[in-house]
Amino acid sequence: MKRRQQGILTGMPFMAHVSSRSFVDDAGRKIYLAKPPTRIISLAPSVTEVLFAIGAGDQVVGVTQFCNYPPEALNKQKIGYANPNLESLVALHPDLVVGPTDFLKPDVVLKLDQLNIPVFALNEKNVEDIFIHIQTLGRMLDRATVANALAMELRQQVTQIKQRTEEFPPVRVLYVLNSEPLITVGPGSYIDQLIVLAGGVNVAAKSGTPYPRLSMEAVLHDNPEVLVFPVGESEGISDSEQQAWRQWTTITAVKQGRLHQISADLLNRPGPRVVRALELLADILHPKTSSHRANQ
Amino acid sequence: MLPPATAHAVSQWTKAGAIVTLHRWLLVIGGLIVASVAVLVMCLQFGATRVEMRAVMEAILTVFHGEHIDADGLGTPGIIMVQIRLPRVLMGFLVGGSLAGIGVTLQALLRNPLADPYVLGVSSGAALGASAAMLLGIGTAFSLVPALPLFGFLGGLLSLVLIYRLAQSQGRLPVHSLLLAGVILNAILTALIMFITSIMDPNRSAGLMAWLMGSLTAPSYPALGVFVLYTVGVLAILMHKAQTLNVLTLGEEIARSLGIETEWVKKQLFLLTALLTGAVVSVSGMIGFVGMVIPHVVRMLIGSDHRLLLPGSALIGGMFLVVSDTIARTLLAPSEIPVGIVTALAGGPFFLYLLLCRKDRMN
Repeated sequence: MKRRQQGILTGMPFMAHVSSRSFVDDAGRKIYLAKPPTRIISLAPSVTEVLFAIGAGDQVVGVTQFCNYPPEALNKQKIGYANPNLESLVALHPDLVVGPTDFLKPDVVLKLDQLNIPVFALNEKNVEDIFIHIQTLGRMLDRATVANALAMELRQQVTQIKQRTEEFPPVRVLYVLNSEPLITVGPGSYIDQLIVLAGGVNVAAKSGTPYPRLSMEAVLHDNPEVLVFPVGESEGISDSEQQAWRQWTTITAVKQGRLHQISADLLNRPGPRVVRALELLADILHPKTSSHRANQ
Repeated sequence: MLPPATAHAVSQWTKAGAIVTLHRWLLVIGGLIVASVAVLVMCLQFGATRVEMRAVMEAILTVFHGEHIDADGLGTPGIIMVQIRLPRVLMGFLVGGSLAGIGVTLQALLRNPLADPYVLGVSSGAALGASAAMLLGIGTAFSLVPALPLFGFLGGLLSLVLIYRLAQSQGRLPVHSLLLAGVILNAILTALIMFITSIMDPNRSAGLMAWLMGSLTAPSYPALGVFVLYTVGVLAILMHKAQTLNVLTLGEEIARSLGIETEWVKKQLFLLTALLTGAVVSVSGMIGFVGMVIPHVVRMLIGSDHRLLLPGSALIGGMFLVVSDTIARTLLAPSEIPVGIVTALAGGPFFLYLLLCRKDRMN
């Protein structure tokens, strides 16, 4: 079950743009920026991380209450996440708002349009999308050189990790977003692709949606060799919830004690640190190949 | 001597074919029990994975013999059958039966055809308790008891006490106050649940929302045993009060003149339904449609005498939920659909069809 990853090795992606200052977002909306924005509001932790990573941290004026990385992000004004406070948002006089398509409510977008505040919506369906977004934001903010270098660096790291694991047979994995009801990741989510890149095969690959409610019967039948739980402060699966999985004694992962945790901040955020999550995932799935590199 | 109004009502009621002979009762309920067993056995054969019928029978026999289930001895198909499918199907039957039973009782007690198990606010209390457990990330309480049902049940009990306090005045329990207190408390508690989901991380709140929508899971056998005793016990007490429910539907005045201590009876019925609702919601979230509509469907099919209606609704409600959950488990396998969506989509059109047939007959 090997899929050729397109774009990971091919470098510069094709971008549809009319002029160098027009940008089309993942919701298909076109925005025109006469000059690089200097007051940006980020509506997701992943966006905040990207902006800081390309050296545009100083231009960020507003973030969500979940934006905890890099530490400087904690000092920025907070304006909510799924329900951003429109008044405090407008009061910050942003000249660009960037957020995930899933949480940008139509009424918020409409109001910002009326106020002539450009909104750019992002939706990562795969890992390459994350790197494309880094480059797009780089071009927007006049930081193309830094952003392109970062994206290329990240692509290279992904390729290295992929090469490290690809000669080994893929390991069956279940990623537990929620236990009861069981929610996991499926095709069309970048995490599903990360599992493949790390030398795994997602037991939920047959389900048709990015975040399926998976049948427990199917889990027992497909018998994952590794269970992965996201852990963290605001989100993540509690210890007792993880322990409850030990009742399924026929699952190979339980038999061999391969219940692993990965920081939700790394894995659930489609930002630059996703490669670190991929590395950890590869170490979990193929511990023998672990390259004892110093943690960055 | 009865007052004329009472006499008229009673005669109306007996005219409506309310005479239930023991023979008819045994025939209808016996038939429904046989049908229930058939439905349970049939639904055991469907799931996200293929399990042979032989394995189904073996699994049932293993459980009934009380043998220790050895994981390696059964193999994965056996484990799927014994540990996942069978407990889930049984749980579905109990939840569906309880919801329909509560619905019948409340529709009679509140004399409101739109009453359902969630009208009293006890359900929101249970859901809030469970949401709080999720927010705090408590997976299990006291190492063995799953925290979600426990917190849910406690939340349900708290709101039960609150509604009772709000609704009663001078030792009486006026039905309209009960209804109002329930509706208002529902609104307040639902707002608190929404607040919890809004401050949770979106990755976690998705799980909570999925649970709130109503979902059946496979409980452990000890938990299932407790749940069987609890639900069947409460339903049995309710059935014991079926004749009283019959009289209550005529109105409290008439019921009192027929020698029923209405205040005492109302308090009992409220307590019983509230206790059952709290337990059901805390194990399965809010599964809509079953509690409100199944009683109406069963009334159309076997009449409105509660001696027949209550057990009949419980059995048909149980079957209905098991079949709905089987569809939810298998339609998009290996993904599952929230069962509440199936109950509304499968049951709604059928109910409208019955309604139309009835209208034609009346014309």
